[in-house]
Amino acid sequence: MEDAAAPARRRSDRARAVPLLAIAALGVCALVFDVTLPLRLPGDADHAEAAAALRVRAGPRDAVQLWPPWAERARMFIRTLPVRTEEDLRAADYPGVERLWLLAMPRAPFARLSRARAALRERGAIAGEEMRFGGLSLQPWDLRGPRVLSFLTDPREEHEIDYVPRQCMQVRIGPPPDPGTLEARGLGGVLHVRAGIVGERAYQVARGQVRVEVQIDGAPLATLTVPPTVPPEPGWRRIEVAAPSGEHAFAFRVSARDADRPFCLAAWTTAP
Amino acid sequence: MTRRLPLALAALTFAALFATQSGVGFVRDEGYYFEAARSYEQWVLLLLRAPAAALRDTGRYWSLNFEHPGLAKLLFALSHLVFTTWLGWLPDTLAFRLPAFAFGALLTYWLAMLAAQRSRAAAVFAPALFWGAERTFFHGHLACFDVPICALTVGVGVAWARAIGILESSPSTVTPPSTLPSTPTPPRRSLFFGFLFGCALAVKHNAWLLPAVLLVHALLLPAGLRRRALRTLPWLLLGPIVLFAAWPLLWHDPVRHLSDWVSFHAHHVHYAWYYFGRELRGPPFPIFYPLALLALVLPLPQVILFAAAGAKLLWDFAHRALSPLRLLELGLAGAAILPFMLRTTPIFGGIKHWLAFVALLAPEAAHLLAGAAGLASQAGLPRARALGIAAAAALLPGLWQIAHVHPYGTSAYGELAGGVPGAASLGMQRQYWSNNVTAVLPWLNAHAPRGARVFFHEVNPESYRAYQQAGMLRADIQYASGPWDAQYAALQWHREFRDREPETWNAFGTRTPATGFYLDETPQVVVYARPGLPGAP
Repeated sequence: MEDAAAPARRRSDRARAVPLLAIAALGVCALVFDVTLPLRLPGDADHAEAAAALRVRAGPRDAVQLWPPWAERARMFIRTLPVRTEEDLRAADYPGVERLWLLAMPRAPFARLSRARAALRERGAIAGEEMRFGGLSLQPWDLRGPRVLSFLTDPREEHEIDYVPRQCMQVRIGPPPDPGTLEARGLGGVLHVRAGIVGERAYQVARGQVRVEVQIDGAPLATLTVPPTVPPEPGWRRIEVAAPSGEHAFAFRVSARDADRPFCLAAWTTAP
Repeated sequence: MTRRLPLALAALTFAALFATQSGVGFVRDEGYYFEAARSYEQWVLLLLRAPAAALRDTGRYWSLNFEHPGLAKLLFALSHLVFTTWLGWLPDTLAFRLPAFAFGALLTYWLAMLAAQRSRAAAVFAPALFWGAERTFFHGHLACFDVPICALTVGVGVAWARAIGILESSPSTVTPPSTLPSTPTPPRRSLFFGFLFGCALAVKHNAWLLPAVLLVHALLLPAGLRRRALRTLPWLLLGPIVLFAAWPLLWHDPVRHLSDWVSFHAHHVHYAWYYFGRELRGPPFPIFYPLALLALVLPLPQVILFAAAGAKLLWDFAHRALSPLRLLELGLAGAAILPFMLRTTPIFGGIKHWLAFVALLAPEAAHLLAGAAGLASQAGLPRARALGIAAAAALLPGLWQIAHVHPYGTSAYGELAGGVPGAASLGMQRQYWSNNVTAVLPWLNAHAPRGARVFFHEVNPESYRAYQQAGMLRADIQYASGPWDAQYAALQWHREFRDREPETWNAFGTRTPATGFYLDETPQVVVYARPGLPGAP
């Protein structure tokens, strides 16, 4: 009887160690993750190498897109190219950019680089050869976007809208009888207008909408309305409208009842 | 077991907090409490010099930070008065923080007392599980109210348990659920219970909920114990007396000041808070927000052990198998977190507002951990080795987190979040709000020219002055009100303040940081310098 019960007893005894084994396994997994995390992230040398590669390979119509968008330590190393931190790569505007360098940390937790690549593919971009620099991946993407004919706002000025730095110019909001005005000359084609309220005041719903009236040679062309941002609706509003070819005087008249808000506007034309 | 082990663990906690505080920056609130403590210290000096004038002028000195009761800040003030003003032994900030370390030590002591009712191993594990995470460890350093009220919540629980006779100093005499201790408890225990509740009330408004929890606990007890508990409850009336005594602001026009206090918290502003890619700005908040946040910020073993502890307590409650003490722990833990699951209570500040939830689950979690080791020893593993394995598995990831992230505790995330970079990808709050600036102060001290104007972003003027007084920031460096007014900018990364960085680029004419503090690649504090200045890229 004793001999027959012994294996069962031993199994039962061993089973008593299972909770401790489970806790030990949990601790080991956690510790392995913690200790190896720095190895999955780039170091200074990786950043320097990627920046050097960009210096050598990138052209004047190139830009760098960081992924994940929070990976902005790269700004300390990349000094020769505009750095973008767009979050929606499918819908993002890259006006004037022909080739986008996707600089990514593929092994960072939840980086989801495949999603970024899929978004670029969905907008028709074509991937080039990927390079690896330790914890960094660098891949050129031919955006195949329309050619910019004229920048109607200065792309060097940037402001935050929807928590993303946007290339746009701050424009005063005026009361409806006296709108703030931004004027520029440029070639016609497809006119792209983007606008939004800067900072947290964009989310104050009681403040009402901002109206942007677009004029061409003094005649109304289009209107863009920018309401207070209520996520998931975007605060960075857009219109595309056809403008007659040839050089024109464009004017953007910005008005709202509540004018005490920083407002930002971007406009450019592309070939049809 | 005597009280020697809890006392030793408490002393260890105090020493650990003391030894690791120097790099801990001043969170936004702490700067206000420093200022308030300075004002209260002046009042204490006046009280010693001219008592009548001090009694007359309470409003002048105590109106500062009227929204929180006075006890903790009075202790910060007294510590500063003794150790800095009179003795000159400690720098300002360390003296202010000393009482906070004492509260941390008290928390350890009371947790060990509670857990010692289960086993000696649990008495060691319980405080270790609580403190073995960077978030909790970080908050233990601050001259704020979160760890003090956490400690006092546990302390009130212990004092209540002792007053009604369900917890003895000698843990070998665990009271079975349905029996009444034969000897009546001495009145000094009830007195101490009432006094501790008053202290809790005089530290933070979380204590408002304690009477309700204790009443429900009393009503759920077996008949004999229930009568004793209901007879003990009136000692809570000592609380308002202690509150009144410890908060001189109430000595004149108390109704108005009490009303202001209650009103402030009943209508507290909601700060934007980044959570799974959404900026939460106001109610309704996600119902499981506090639990989800705990799961993401604590090290994985603690997450699992605390979850198991909560589940075990609830299971035993549902099956009427909870001892009165464990029922008390469950009630206090629930009361600590449930207000933040109402969907309307302000949720900013990470996990600091419901630290007592974690603390009150710690004894049960420690018991489960010790139990796992005990079972393994029955399977043939030597007991000491089993306990060692349990301790290492449960605590090493947390110790690693502390070693890796401290003193930047508001940025810490656990393994479920993927660490700090994983949390950034998930869209979680990066930090709150400005304590991480300590990482770049040495650079500013080394590079900024004499009298340089620096935009410190979320560092409030109180904290800026405190950094200068602590010698962490050069005294000649000036506080600029914005990038347009500054030569250098030290921007703390917050989703809701993203507009400040492009604003700085436009003002400075550069997008290249001069330096920065990056934690596992995530930007925490980014420093810009105007081109041509020392340190500019």
